[in-house]
Amino acid sequence: MLRSDPQARAALKAPAQVVSLRVNGEWREIAVKPRVTLVEAIRDLVGLTGTKASCESGTCGACTVLLDGRPVVSCLTLAVACDGMEVRTVEGLTDGEKLSALQEAFLEYGAVQCGFCTPGMLMSATALLERDPKPDRETINKALEGNLCRCTGYNGIVDAVLAASGQTRPRKE
Amino acid sequence: MQSELKYVGKSVRRKDGPDKVTGRAVYTQDVRLPNTLVGRILRSPHPHARIVRIDTSRARALPGVKAVITVEDTKGIKHGFVETPRYPPDQEVLARGKVVHVGEEVAALAAVDALTAQRALDLIEVEYEVLPAVFDPEEAMRPGAPEIHPSHPKAPSGLANVGGTTATEWGDVERGFAESDYVREDRFDCQLRTHGYLEPHVTLAQWENGKLNVWTSSMGTFVKRAKLAKVLDLPQSSVRIHKTYVGGTFGGKIDLYSHEYCACHLSMLTGRPVQITASREEIFNAYRHSQPLTLEIKTGVKKDGTIVAQRIRAINNAGAFRGSGVVVIFLAWGFTMIPYRIPNLKYEGFSVYTNNTVRAPQRGHGAPKVRFAIESQMDMIAEALGIDPVEIRLRNARGPGEKLPNGDDTHRGNLSECIRVAAERSGLLAKFGRDRSQPPKGTIRRGIGIGVSAYMGGTLIYPNGSGVIVKMNDDGTAIVLTGAIDIGQGSETVIAQIVAEELGVTPDDVKIISSDTDTTPQDIGAWISGMTYVTGNAARQAAGNAREKLLQVAAEKLGVRADELVAADKVVSHRLNPELRMTYREVVASSIAKRRGDTIIGEGFWRTMRDEPAHPSLATTRGRWTENYAFSAQVAEVEVDIETGEARLVKAYTVHDCGFPINPALVKGQIDGQVSMALGHAFMEEVLVKDGYTLNPNWLEYRMPTIHEMAESEDADVITEQYRVGQPYRTKEVGEGLISGVLAAMGNAVYDATGVRLRSTPFSAERILEGLRDLEFQKRKKHKEVRA
Repeated sequence: MLRSDPQARAALKAPAQVVSLRVNGEWREIAVKPRVTLVEAIRDLVGLTGTKASCESGTCGACTVLLDGRPVVSCLTLAVACDGMEVRTVEGLTDGEKLSALQEAFLEYGAVQCGFCTPGMLMSATALLERDPKPDRETINKALEGNLCRCTGYNGIVDAVLAASGQTRPRKE
Repeated sequence: MQSELKYVGKSVRRKDGPDKVTGRAVYTQDVRLPNTLVGRILRSPHPHARIVRIDTSRARALPGVKAVITVEDTKGIKHGFVETPRYPPDQEVLARGKVVHVGEEVAALAAVDALTAQRALDLIEVEYEVLPAVFDPEEAMRPGAPEIHPSHPKAPSGLANVGGTTATEWGDVERGFAESDYVREDRFDCQLRTHGYLEPHVTLAQWENGKLNVWTSSMGTFVKRAKLAKVLDLPQSSVRIHKTYVGGTFGGKIDLYSHEYCACHLSMLTGRPVQITASREEIFNAYRHSQPLTLEIKTGVKKDGTIVAQRIRAINNAGAFRGSGVVVIFLAWGFTMIPYRIPNLKYEGFSVYTNNTVRAPQRGHGAPKVRFAIESQMDMIAEALGIDPVEIRLRNARGPGEKLPNGDDTHRGNLSECIRVAAERSGLLAKFGRDRSQPPKGTIRRGIGIGVSAYMGGTLIYPNGSGVIVKMNDDGTAIVLTGAIDIGQGSETVIAQIVAEELGVTPDDVKIISSDTDTTPQDIGAWISGMTYVTGNAARQAAGNAREKLLQVAAEKLGVRADELVAADKVVSHRLNPELRMTYREVVASSIAKRRGDTIIGEGFWRTMRDEPAHPSLATTRGRWTENYAFSAQVAEVEVDIETGEARLVKAYTVHDCGFPINPALVKGQIDGQVSMALGHAFMEEVLVKDGYTLNPNWLEYRMPTIHEMAESEDADVITEQYRVGQPYRTKEVGEGLISGVLAAMGNAVYDATGVRLRSTPFSAERILEGLRDLEFQKRKKHKEVRA
């Protein structure tokens, strides 16, 4: 937090920079102050509110987006550092009105309750399936370990990722 | 005539699902209004201090600051979680005269942007005179302890800081103990745990043309409206709470919060929308968490394990205002008396003010702590008597048709059956004691344990009942107006299923308009475990009412009696002559033509126990509570590493009786979520507080279960109720009662794995190691004594 007046004034007065982002396939130019985070830019300047702001300290994963195909917590990413990069958000997962296989699986397997972690969870899982179409349980855990979900206990989410990758849930014991 | 159920009892997909997987779902933080100001709250840096002086002039003078308020700018109207003659509202929306916990709201302001608002907060000067503070409830109760608030006038004299008491007894406990074959007394404690809703607290308020529009993350819009209108001194018709999706609550968003009031007041002062969002750090430091409860339990039993007498003393560390603290000490009695028969009981509960943050309800509202304590002691008793954990529970468990001490009835609820099924499914008795009698190689020990619980649903708290309206459209589809708020539990889906079933349309034909206080009827809200029962029955009635009207209009048109007709698949047809038929579209058109434009609207209302007074007494427990008790037995298998002390839940078995499951997939979702939350309670989570300051105000240091901790969760539903179209039905509780038995089961399983009996949660690695070292020490001491 900015405690002293001169510091705060300096931050307020830092000039905005123009940043080009390719958001879900569309190029957008936005003017941002250096302190503006990617989640703020996406939600407030680009106007896509599907990406959620929760802890704003990189601990919960709700704001996960794909930056040049890699999942990042957009609350810890500065917008000015993303100039010329491709950003994919939850709004970019559908093909028109058609849900992706992963989105369908999330609905089918009880991966969604309150839905607040869902956009970030979907983005982390999408990145996973793009680099590993048939992930095993350990790989799924590793890919989704940064995304907190308080509602489902993760059971539905794991089932959905397995189903979307054409794997049935492995039977245990 | 009973036909096969089409939509109810089926795992219909969530109505809100498509919006939630595409980012279209609008949560409060997603609502955007032009010209919105950013609101911020100035909070107390002290746990207990007199406010000598507040000077806001420098903040007001800062360019970009539009309004600053302190308590002097308010009307001084108090509010409380409980508002009864015995427990009148006790808290103002901003601190007056003194602060009583770290993070208490002292002033609020609105500015053009977040940085300006933050700078302005730093410019508010507050002079405090620090007062002695007290954080432990038993210290706070002692005469001469620093007084946070005067004790309740009806509290036992001489005790300090007692905000409220619950006292009840039946039979003769002392005689009961004398007649018992075995008596033991134990003390149990638990930690402070936070709700962990992912969506932070956030409120947007817009004052326009004498109307206050509010969007806020809550669990019941009608409760919020009532409380906001009251503290703002506005008629309820001038306050509209709009629908938004809610990103998790778990009990933590039902109270009125200062930021909600401040956003409204600041908007009224500036004429511009004001949004206040709590940061995660603020939520950890200053907002309301659970209620750490200390329980002293003395139990006397016969040789066969039958409970003869029980004496319980509960002390609730209730925080700096009354909050729901006085409810928890009442509920702790309730969660004691539902599952097991207790012929002689003496219960006393104390809700004690301390200089900690105020407490809120949290999923289970005391039940996890109560069941952990009682179920742990049940296992200790069983071991002492040489009987197994299933037998002692079956000896005492309630079955169908039992009268509870408060006059309520268990109806078809059956805890014994839940216990039997849980034991059988999990193979409990075959696995129990295995690793203790024959320790395997290596450091991993496996244990199994059982716990039971019971929960009430749909009890009477404001606004007590729900109404639902079903509007027929010209094409035969329906719009449902309901105040029910979907916090993730799936209320919109369940209501659509019920309406579809009763009305003879598909769930896709039903569109839900919900939780808007101006356009939907009053609703109990998602906070007393009764929405599917109360609002569900109102929906059933409303749809039934619309169906009756459809049949009546069709009967007139077709020239037959209405009771000769049936309604299904958007067609009204004659029972015996299916040729005689009208589509719903035709019926609605006929109604409009014949009845001078009257279309068809159905209405329904529901309340638990219509003829009973509003609620039981929190002080004496007298009065009926509900007609719906859900019972459950849960088994946990855990693994403990005896080298590191680390424990984890491997598998949970939940056997429950939720009445009739309207949507089994949603029921399963509630179970899995509660198992996960319970394992967080058991092994991971604790808000660490020192002298009133939170030491771990973030999710790095406060660890919630991640995907790595996911436990296998298996469940079985002991279905005790039926659903019949056109008849009231009983669904029971499933959203918060299932966090308790499994928590207790984990404690018992840790003991089964290691021989370490923990009397307080969480079962951290440190505590388990300490227990193991203690066991080792005892063993050596015994060995030495034998040798000597």
